Amino acid sequence: MAADEDEDDYLSMSFEDPKPAKETSIQRAARLKKERAERGIIPSKAERKQAAEEAREKALATEIDSSNKGAQMLAKMGFKGGALGKTEGARTRPIEIQMKQDRGGLGMENDKKRKIREAADAANANEKRIKLTEEEYRHSKALEREEKRKEGEMWGAMRILEDFETNDATGSDEVGAKGDGTTKSTMPPLRSINVLYRPLVKQRLKEYQERRRMKQNMARRGIGVRDDYSSEDDQLASGTEVEDDLDEEDTELDEFLALPVGERLEKILSFLRETYHYCFWCKYRYPDDKMDGCPGLTDDEHG
Amino acid sequence: MSEEEKPRKSRFKRVKTTDDRESRSDDAANPYLSHLNGNGSSNGDSYTGGDLSKWKRHTSTAKMAKIAEDGPTNAFTGKPLSDRYFGILKTRRDLPVSAQRQEFLDMYHKTQILVFVGETGSGKTTQIPQYVLYDDLPHMQGQMVACTQPRRVAAMSVAQRVAQELDVTLGEEVGYSIRFEDMTSQKTCLKYMTDGMLLREAMNDHDLKRYSTIILDEAHERTLATDILMGLLKEVVKRRPDLKLIIMSATLDAQKFQKYFHDAPLLAVPGRTHPVEIFYTPEPERDYVEAALRTVLQIHATEAEGDILLFLTGEEEIEDAVRKISMESDEMVREADAGPLKCYPLYGSLPPAQQQKIFEPAPPPYRPGGKPGRKCIVSTNIAETSLTIDGIVYVVDPGFSKQKVYNPRIRVESLLVSPISKASAQQRAGRAGRTRPGKCFRLYTEGAFKKELIDQSYPEILRSNLASTVLELKKLGVDDLVHFDLMDPPAPETLMRALEELNYLACLDDEGELTHLGKLASDFPLDPALAVMLISSPEFYCSNEILSLTALLSVPQVFVRPAAARKRADEMKNLFAHEDGDHLTMLNVYHAFKSPAAQENPKQWTHDHFLSYRALQQADNVRLQLKRIMEREEIELVSTPFNDKNYYTNIRRALVAGFFMQVAKKDTSGKTYVTVKDNQSVLLHPSTVLGQDSEWVVYNEFVLTSKNYIRTVTAVKPEWLLEIAPNYYNIEEFSKGEVKTALTRTVQKMNRRSEMNGR
Repeated sequence: MAADEDEDDYLSMSFEDPKPAKETSIQRAARLKKERAERGIIPSKAERKQAAEEAREKALATEIDSSNKGAQMLAKMGFKGGALGKTEGARTRPIEIQMKQDRGGLGMENDKKRKIREAADAANANEKRIKLTEEEYRHSKALEREEKRKEGEMWGAMRILEDFETNDATGSDEVGAKGDGTTKSTMPPLRSINVLYRPLVKQRLKEYQERRRMKQNMARRGIGVRDDYSSEDDQLASGTEVEDDLDEEDTELDEFLALPVGERLEKILSFLRETYHYCFWCKYRYPDDKMDGCPGLTDDEHG
Repeated sequence: MSEEEKPRKSRFKRVKTTDDRESRSDDAANPYLSHLNGNGSSNGDSYTGGDLSKWKRHTSTAKMAKIAEDGPTNAFTGKPLSDRYFGILKTRRDLPVSAQRQEFLDMYHKTQILVFVGETGSGKTTQIPQYVLYDDLPHMQGQMVACTQPRRVAAMSVAQRVAQELDVTLGEEVGYSIRFEDMTSQKTCLKYMTDGMLLREAMNDHDLKRYSTIILDEAHERTLATDILMGLLKEVVKRRPDLKLIIMSATLDAQKFQKYFHDAPLLAVPGRTHPVEIFYTPEPERDYVEAALRTVLQIHATEAEGDILLFLTGEEEIEDAVRKISMESDEMVREADAGPLKCYPLYGSLPPAQQQKIFEPAPPPYRPGGKPGRKCIVSTNIAETSLTIDGIVYVVDPGFSKQKVYNPRIRVESLLVSPISKASAQQRAGRAGRTRPGKCFRLYTEGAFKKELIDQSYPEILRSNLASTVLELKKLGVDDLVHFDLMDPPAPETLMRALEELNYLACLDDEGELTHLGKLASDFPLDPALAVMLISSPEFYCSNEILSLTALLSVPQVFVRPAAARKRADEMKNLFAHEDGDHLTMLNVYHAFKSPAAQENPKQWTHDHFLSYRALQQADNVRLQLKRIMEREEIELVSTPFNDKNYYTNIRRALVAGFFMQVAKKDTSGKTYVTVKDNQSVLLHPSTVLGQDSEWVVYNEFVLTSKNYIRTVTAVKPEWLLEIAPNYYNIEEFSKGEVKTALTRTVQKMNRRSEMNGR
């Protein structure tokens, strides 16, 4: 009996008063906060400001809906959603209010926002990568590695090509142009360089320029010895075309750089074969265009 | 002079004879020519090429007009032309538009709608209406040529100028009409007017029959009224094939106008501008004001002679910049032997006398042969289009302006610093090339110019509360608001809010049709809330007072508070203060202003009391105009006796009748107010005289700036809200919250009271 009664009680309880159970801890906190507010506990200035801003943002984001008298009137006039009037592309929503809180110049805010967005995008991308399955992950990693390898090979091929090109042009075997900026004053204009290894030269020039700038800066502050660099400065002062070259637009180069790494590599390798009968994979310059003994253009063919 | 005349005269006669017969019949039949011919004294023996009555409309040539303009008698008045006229005539003929007069006439003859583009300085505003006048001959038809202007001042000053150019008295052949001021007469055949006035006229005359040609000038400014007029006229020209329409714009985006008016032909006249070199900054600026000051000083130190125009956003920022530039440049003079630099502020609320200062020439060098002086004007965007200052060679443009944008969702007008448009930036740059080649320093990167700036500024119609516009459109006979063909239709929500407000004001019924009250309200050139308040004021026995108050609310601020004498100004204001609010305080000011003591020497009196004489005088004028409308509509003018204890209460209650939708309640913290319905947290503007203990207030404006202020507030009682605007204060429609709770409590209290009274 007693057990039965208990059961009855238990059952009736659960039906009678289901409400308190529904309040989650968050709701409870909110209710308490509200009750406190109503009892006259004054929130701080910052709290008020934030609350006001939130209320405004919320109201600004809330569209006037069909419960509004004006919306009903407009509907009676034949409005069926979309825009008013007869002009194409007319507004469907009000101009947004944007609060400018500081004196940041035009573009400053967006510069900041862009950086934040980029960081967020990067974070997102990371997250996405994690979400990939193990298989996919391994595959994408492999692709990445492959890409990196090809890029390394591409730079190597460029260096070889440069050697060939400059050797053939000057007719001498040894050219010290590589990696050493000091001899660059005799360099031909950037644009006349074969686009297949132009990125290499350009990058080198940039590095050189950067270094020079640093030295100059140091010299200006009295650090370093001016004498060492004065000749260079003079050279460059009279021949500033190097810098102009770097900043100039170069569509040919841009187009080349836009190609995927693999394609770029292939282009360089074919050029090496056709012009210099050189196989990048055999690391050998064949005597004629038959290239006897070379299995083919690609790495795969070389096993 | 007379020697030159002969060949012209004969040349003209040849033309004249061809139209002889027709013109003569016109002549006799047309009663409107009486002032030309009927008096006898005006034509007589001085019959020359200037006799327009022999011309046939829409066939004249530039040559004919030239002969007529050369006199010696005035073609419109028949009086001999003055020396001043001939002096002006010479300069007029040097204007860029003058060279294209024939081209203009040819096009004008051929087409009904014409888009005319002329940069500032081309002379279009003064000349084109005159070219039209000589060809359209509206006075022969008893009609007029109208030329609209977005601004009152422009309408007045241009009319005055053109009256001089035509050698007539302002208000006779050439007149102007602006809100609360009509300077025209029976003789008027060329009327400059604000676009808003033409819109008002269209309410009573949907086809604008009294005009033969309508010129919408400065259409690129895209004011609300111009946009509505374009929409209307697009329809009117279909009904009235005889009406010609010219859209004049100063910017080259005229294709938009052409497209809108069914590919109307375009005529462009180059302005008198010089090339302007544009400079961008390599990186975004950290602080645009500081960067602007730096740039101005740098220009002063390094650039050749020429004045500087710096664009900033508001009064405070501008005054601050002027102070800093003056200080820094003084130092430059002492330390670096720079030339003198005079710096002037320029913004809308600046008194006219001070605005005039910007036209003073740059200061001379400190000693003969010393470095030349220059002036620097720091201005809001009023120097962008509205005002032309010659001598500007350098423009500094940070790329911001303060823009008013109405948001229907929270019913707030925001006045916030926002990026300008590309068109604005071009316009600003153009200001540097008025006198000679100039330079424009943009304080942003070229990338920001391309990516961050919108192409065109938002037209006013997209940025405004449309309550009065909807009322106007209804009165204009536009029934289909949904499909009304506007160049830039506003967001639907803006229209919804306007309809809702008008419905609560009982100006529109639930079907969106004008009610009797709505019709009456639209007769007043006022915001619907003000109009409704005025119309219902006799019910509260205070229509005289509400009339004064309405006038005061329709003019610029009456209180003057110069930075140098803030304390004194506040003390003076306190003399008029009424503890229940700013509206009542303003009323006290007006009554004091009208007292015999003040009227003895009103200028001195207002000056002594830190009040704006101009604003009060204007209010007086507005009051008179509104009073006439009230009398015409037979709205009673009554007052509660001043010593009745309900004198001020009645006025406050009448305020509620118009402004019940602009009410805020103090929130529990007691520090801020919340707007009813939208629940937006607001602060009382520091200028208020109202004590902090008012639970409920009506406000005249809610402007979102860096802080949310409600301005011009007066205390009201919640009972009044429930009584006077029961539809709006329908408690069931309120979302849960403080306002609802408080209103519910009020209802209970009211019920208890009425029960007690009942028993």
